[in-house]
Amino acid sequence: MEDITLTINGKNISCPSGTSILEAAKRKGIKIPTLCYHPDLEPFGACRLCLVEDEKTGRIMASCVTPVAPNMTIRTDSPAIKTHRTNVIRLMLANHPESCIVCSQGNRCELRQIAADLGVGEVDLYPMPHYTGLEATNPFIVRDLSKCILCGKCIRADHELVVAGAIDYNLRGFKSRPATLYDMPLERSVCTFCGTCLSMCPTGALSLKNEQYVGSPQNESKTICGFCGVGCSIVMGSVDGRIVEVNPSHEQETVNGSTLCVRGHFAHDFLNTKDRLTQPLIRDNGELTPVSWDAALDTVAKQLVDIKKKYGPQSVAFLGSSKCTNEENYLFQKIARVLFETNNVDSGGYMSGRPVLNRVEKRMDGGCRKNPLSNIEKAEAIVLLGADPGHSVPVVSYYLKRASRKGIPLIVVDPKKTEMVPFSSLWLNLIPHTDSQLINGLAAMLWKQNSLDAVFIDRFTEGFDVYCEGLKGLDIESVCRDTGLTMEAMAQTADLLAGKKIAFVCGNGILKQRYGMPSMGALLNLLLMTGSLGSERGGLYIPARENNQVGAWDMGAVPDALPGRRDLDIESARKDWERAWQANISPDRGLDVIRMVEEAEKGSLKALYIMGENPVRSLPQPERVRKSLERLDFLVVQDILLSETCKIANVVLPGAAFCEKAGSFTNMEGRIQSFEPVVAPLGEARADWEILQLLAGKMGSPQHYGSLEKVRGEIARFIPMYRDLDGGVDPGWVRQKGDRRLFEPDGEGTLIPFTPVVSIEHKDINDEYPFTAILGSQRFHLGSGTRTCRSGRIRDYGVKGEIELSLADGASLNLQNGDSVRVESEHGFIEREIKLEKGLSKGLVFIPVAFNANDVMNLIGLTRLGEPDSPGWQECQVKVAKL
Amino acid sequence: MKPKEIDREQLKAIIDRHRGKTWALIPLLQEIQETAGYIPPESIEPVAEALNLFPSQVQGVITFYAGFSLEPKGKYVVRVCRGTACHVKGGRSILRLMRKELGLDEGQTDPEYRFTLETVACLGACFLAPTMMVNRNYYGKLNPNKVASVLAQYRKKKGES
Repeated sequence: MEDITLTINGKNISCPSGTSILEAAKRKGIKIPTLCYHPDLEPFGACRLCLVEDEKTGRIMASCVTPVAPNMTIRTDSPAIKTHRTNVIRLMLANHPESCIVCSQGNRCELRQIAADLGVGEVDLYPMPHYTGLEATNPFIVRDLSKCILCGKCIRADHELVVAGAIDYNLRGFKSRPATLYDMPLERSVCTFCGTCLSMCPTGALSLKNEQYVGSPQNESKTICGFCGVGCSIVMGSVDGRIVEVNPSHEQETVNGSTLCVRGHFAHDFLNTKDRLTQPLIRDNGELTPVSWDAALDTVAKQLVDIKKKYGPQSVAFLGSSKCTNEENYLFQKIARVLFETNNVDSGGYMSGRPVLNRVEKRMDGGCRKNPLSNIEKAEAIVLLGADPGHSVPVVSYYLKRASRKGIPLIVVDPKKTEMVPFSSLWLNLIPHTDSQLINGLAAMLWKQNSLDAVFIDRFTEGFDVYCEGLKGLDIESVCRDTGLTMEAMAQTADLLAGKKIAFVCGNGILKQRYGMPSMGALLNLLLMTGSLGSERGGLYIPARENNQVGAWDMGAVPDALPGRRDLDIESARKDWERAWQANISPDRGLDVIRMVEEAEKGSLKALYIMGENPVRSLPQPERVRKSLERLDFLVVQDILLSETCKIANVVLPGAAFCEKAGSFTNMEGRIQSFEPVVAPLGEARADWEILQLLAGKMGSPQHYGSLEKVRGEIARFIPMYRDLDGGVDPGWVRQKGDRRLFEPDGEGTLIPFTPVVSIEHKDINDEYPFTAILGSQRFHLGSGTRTCRSGRIRDYGVKGEIELSLADGASLNLQNGDSVRVESEHGFIEREIKLEKGLSKGLVFIPVAFNANDVMNLIGLTRLGEPDSPGWQECQVKVAKL
Repeated sequence: MKPKEIDREQLKAIIDRHRGKTWALIPLLQEIQETAGYIPPESIEPVAEALNLFPSQVQGVITFYAGFSLEPKGKYVVRVCRGTACHVKGGRSILRLMRKELGLDEGQTDPEYRFTLETVACLGACFLAPTMMVNRNYYGKLNPNKVASVLAQYRKKKGES
């Protein structure tokens, strides 16, 4: 399309047709005041402040909704325009309460700023404020709709970006206001408290409820959210070194754009709790006592070195963190591998399905690493498996809901009627852990219709023949029997998927379930058969639960791989790193976190260094974990909070939270995001990488980094995936590694294998435990809740994490909402209140994790994931009794 | 006395007939109002679900239009015109009289659900000013006597039924 030429304020401007006058002016640096315009929202034309005049015709128009036309001669500041604009502001102010002096929006109020720019002070019009009650019943957002100017940003953000539908305009004319259904307070609506509207509101109509501080922060600075693996860009406001508010960063091309979730927006309160560690502690006569850094580090260095000398390298283990930065995890595993000559190093990602993901890694040989979430909205069809992203990774759910609103077919595979179901084209309400049968069944149906990408299969894969043999033998009727789905539902699904590239979004329901391995295998086969991999219009998305779960793995904080995801079993990989580090690397695989606990229990593991993990709360069987860690000769915990694990440590080292240090995180998309500190660490606490390098020095490491840049330089030099981390610019994306032809631009390289169809023996349900409990997350908490449980506003909101039961089971057990039950598995029991839910099938129990000190971990066994007969960490058989 | 009992099955059938047609929100709401006399608030969610809209959006449309009501109305809805022509011809007095006669304020319904009193901006029958409507019937060139006789007529009807 041809560009259009026009002049604005005498400047010649050329821009593509369809551009609005406002955007054209903005590009030339001409400022036009607006209140309802937002670059991420559809233009709306509500506030009438962006009026401009065409000098030729004298026409006055709203520049945000008027597209440019050839030969326009626009003035943005003619006397007529100024008069109109001033009148608009005068009318708005006449309708606005005179509460500026006590309004928490303060000088950030856009209405006030524009009024000041136009020289409007006291309004000479008859004041007609429209008083509505102040709504301050929830701990997050205060609504004072008398200050609302009806710009509709909140409503449009809710509908267009977050797709929640909590609010819309109500009534008309003077009485018109944004309202929830039945005009209920927000907490009784479908509002998820993502706070997107709050960050956008130009006035004080929506304001942050903040007990600690009222007003504008002293400093605002950009960083990356420290909760889930989406890695949202945020701006944190601070006052006197304390974080008082969080907003989306509003930069271009960030993963979250203008959105956030309730955790990102409001749960950072934990940074200011009194449980923060501010000085090193050493256990003295059973009590943790403050000591100097020197004393603490000397003790740690001496004890660890002595234990290694006495019992050998295998007696020491290191548990790194999927919450710490890439640089820190790199240093951490280097200490383990170089100074202690052991591969006993793991990170929290193990608990989030790494064993299953390892299969993907092996089959793709490190390809398939860059998965921009923005591609979800370009997919031809989406299948959401075992994930409730609205709760676990909310920003991903916004992408999915937007895609569904665009008309992309969305199929939800979940035994529970999740929040995504109303947005889906089809809900496959399958029997828990029968996903692999379902996927194979669908593959067989597609294959029978010849709905496959023959060119893709031929060019990039091998072993298709064997796979086909397996599909041929599949009986769809028995798949229906196993999964509990009707033939009609299967056929409908196959119809929706036929001939399309498919995006699979695959959550803990697959990664942590009993049959996670075969399910993931089946899924990869289907991805290959449909040619969905490596395409913008399809692919595999794994929502990472923790912010740097991906990066910690890349940095080698795992027992079976070296940094750069180089397989420890491969000699050349070891040789490369031996050269890089000038040290010998043990070829023996190390202990994963579960085996660390088991070996500590047996007494063969003597010392454990934990950085930023809380296994006593996050692992199954917390009591057993605690007892086994108590058996260690020496336990060091480096953390930011006095966690359950710190309480049994010999030495506690105070680290820094993400906003108190510099570093980089790698998100679920493979985006490397570096950041600088917003505030200084609390008290004597120090950035974790500093602690590690001081310690390395004390333990005899000849190398001294001195600065984070040097650590980054080493990472960039030796890990090709992170080549761009060096230097001051934004590192961008992880580079592909490996040599699979699919991911190679030159079209050379190896083929991706299909794997044979695996059939699963269906297990009979033990009559003693007739219910299947599904463990799942709840949007107010992350992981085991170590941090979010300490967030004041999350606590004040008072979600109880009720156990959810089906209506049918509620009736047969004579239970009503609010009754307490005891849920018992073969491993343990918990007691909680219940809530009856329509969306659950009979025989299912849903238990939110992270509540009551994460007691739900008592229900599952401490078996390693993905082993034959593993109970899985996602569901277990239970019995339910009324208390 | 209670308002007319709602036939839920019938409402469900109406909603199902419009399922999937997002454009049909207003005709659907009109049909519900026609059938039930008002739009029962509990029908907002099923309507939204059927038309793939947010319930808050459906509520927004209902509350925007004066023609839709979320509250049950009386058997006879009296709409007194407050347009300019009627105002000049004494529409305000007609309204005052109506209030007194029915014992209702604008927007109110009597506890027996016999009468609802409303005002409208213009009935489009200015040549008959001052005017009012009772359900679908127009009454023009009103004066206190005529108002009393019209009301008596409807009160009597009530007595019959």
